[in-house]
Amino acid sequence: MKVHITHLYPDLMDLYGSRANVLVLKRYLEELGCTVEVEYAVSGQRPCSAETDFVYMGAGTERSQRAAMEGLSCYSQELVSAAEDGTTMFFAGTAMELLGQSIREPDGREYPGVGLAGFSTVHGRRRTVGDVYGHTDLYPEPVVGYMNKCGTIRGVETPLLTQLQLGCGNGGEGSPEGFHWNNVFASELTGPLLVKNPRLLEAVAAAIFARRGAALPEKRPVDLWREAAYTVTEEALRGRL
Amino acid sequence: MKKMFLAILLCKLCSAAGRLLGKGSSLPGKIALKICPEILRLVEVPREIIAVTGSNGKTSTVELIAAILKGSGKRVAYNKEGANQIEGVTTLVLNWATLQGKVKADVLLLECDERYTGQIFAVLPPTKLVVTNLFRDQITRNGHPEWVYDAIRDAIPPETKLLLNADDPLSSCLGRGREGVTWFGMDRCALSLSHPTGIYHDGACCPVCKGPMEYAYVHFNHIGAYSCPNCGHAKPKTDCTVTAVDLESGEITMNGEEHLLLAFHSVYHVYNVLAAYAAAEEMEVPKKIIRAVVNDYVLKNGRTRSFFLGKHQGTLLTSKHENSISYDTNLRYIVTAGEACTVLIIVDTVSRKYFTCETSWLWDIDFEQLNVPCVKQIVLSGRYCNDLAQRFSFTGLRNWSVQPDIFAAVEALEAKGSEKIYAVTCFADRDKLLDYVELEQED
Repeated sequence: MKVHITHLYPDLMDLYGSRANVLVLKRYLEELGCTVEVEYAVSGQRPCSAETDFVYMGAGTERSQRAAMEGLSCYSQELVSAAEDGTTMFFAGTAMELLGQSIREPDGREYPGVGLAGFSTVHGRRRTVGDVYGHTDLYPEPVVGYMNKCGTIRGVETPLLTQLQLGCGNGGEGSPEGFHWNNVFASELTGPLLVKNPRLLEAVAAAIFARRGAALPEKRPVDLWREAAYTVTEEALRGRL
Repeated sequence: MKKMFLAILLCKLCSAAGRLLGKGSSLPGKIALKICPEILRLVEVPREIIAVTGSNGKTSTVELIAAILKGSGKRVAYNKEGANQIEGVTTLVLNWATLQGKVKADVLLLECDERYTGQIFAVLPPTKLVVTNLFRDQITRNGHPEWVYDAIRDAIPPETKLLLNADDPLSSCLGRGREGVTWFGMDRCALSLSHPTGIYHDGACCPVCKGPMEYAYVHFNHIGAYSCPNCGHAKPKTDCTVTAVDLESGEITMNGEEHLLLAFHSVYHVYNVLAAYAAAEEMEVPKKIIRAVVNDYVLKNGRTRSFFLGKHQGTLLTSKHENSISYDTNLRYIVTAGEACTVLIIVDTVSRKYFTCETSWLWDIDFEQLNVPCVKQIVLSGRYCNDLAQRFSFTGLRNWSVQPDIFAAVEALEAKGSEKIYAVTCFADRDKLLDYVELEQED
């Protein structure tokens, strides 16, 4: 199977090792026997086409995030249509906020998001930071990551992490985190998230396969370092609950 | 006045007790601030306050400025490493003050944590501010470089004279719209590269307009001669300039005429010398004194330690976790030294100050630099060795192995071979190595 990945605006949106999400996904898909092609799109370039299997955007500073939205604004409807059509997407860090209705900055200025989801973000002058330990409805194992943001997101109806036992989510401490609808995954957690959470990587790969009408093979690649790293972090965070 | 007296007295007593116990220097200031929150407004400080902030190089720059100013006969009160937040600064100021509240120094020289510039400058407005650079550093508390930039920008009093790194596209923005900025930087020279280096490229987009940035040359990462075709933000003309560098001999040329020797043969240290030189010139220290002090200077930032392990001679290169440029700096040093070696990388505790499992910064480090013939083997150790291993599995390197237990890793190295060892780790983890090895005596 040939898989086409579009990595959106890596020059602008590449904080906190974000690009590693694409690196691990690419390798995982290749180990599953796929031929993977990664296209790097610069700001203003079309985010997806008919052959796109996976659209990715990483975290950026708040100023870069606004610039990324300027590049994305004329393609909002295309992106929404692709999501409705089942294209797999992962928007990490501040990129998640772009999927919503609007982003309001601390000085009161507001700009519209892609409008793929009903939520809105308000930026503050303080950062929310800390380790996160939570649960998703996608699989039984806990999700681990690190939150670093200045925004509060309201109005997420279908979060990716439905329950948090440690740290801050969309609306603050203990609130659910991220967004998941159709094959669209979004989370403000760093890690990078697919690097830190082997099951989530598998879930994203499964979504890519499902859209092609295929299931993930029974025998799947296991990265022992990734599994061991997850165990160490999961145990350390569980110890702090 | 009574409160001030008590605060100063207690600060001095606690500091003396702390020195005996080998404790840090933040607590005395913290106690003093509890007793008298206004203490820093009440004491009489020197007319000249020089502040140094930025992501990397603060400690080395402050140490060098202090040495030069002392060499010119000035009494300099300055804070040592690890005491650059408001409490540490309070300890410093009160320890130099008489019980009546007069600081007995000619110059107050402050290393300031970037996040605390607002608090510190509100009570101790600097006459001169040196900003070394702004890089990714400790996202767990700093967020990102632009977040830190905003905090520093909002903290700078209007009358403060700025000394800025012309080669850094982000921190140089602090000089936009301000008169009388002194710019320091490096001309194109033998070590210059044509394109930005590193795993990520924070200089890809202009910090002012976010348009694509162009580079005539860089010295490392995105530090060099930038220009934005869209908005015109570009490297300013420098007032204090390194015009030539020979890292092998460790000699640099300042302003085309002054030859100086580097205490540490690294391009990053060139910038520390540059910043200190610019500050010293601003303080009107005669050139011959600057030259004499810089040339005799022994780096005292506590970051490098020499040791013996079995038949190996080793060097610890302390790198700040959560700061990829700090790692890149030391990896580049190993590669430039070119000696056949083993590299031991330890990530056991992410921070000595707080708990976190955050390891995304490993993906920002350019480990690929170690893919050179002189690096014979790499050993990854500590609690986060699996995160390191996963990161290394995405490099072209194949000569790495993993030993989670630090002592087992060190013992295995001790038992075999005699090649040079470079240990790369953070303050949080370095004692786990240094407690085992035989330390070489420092001068």
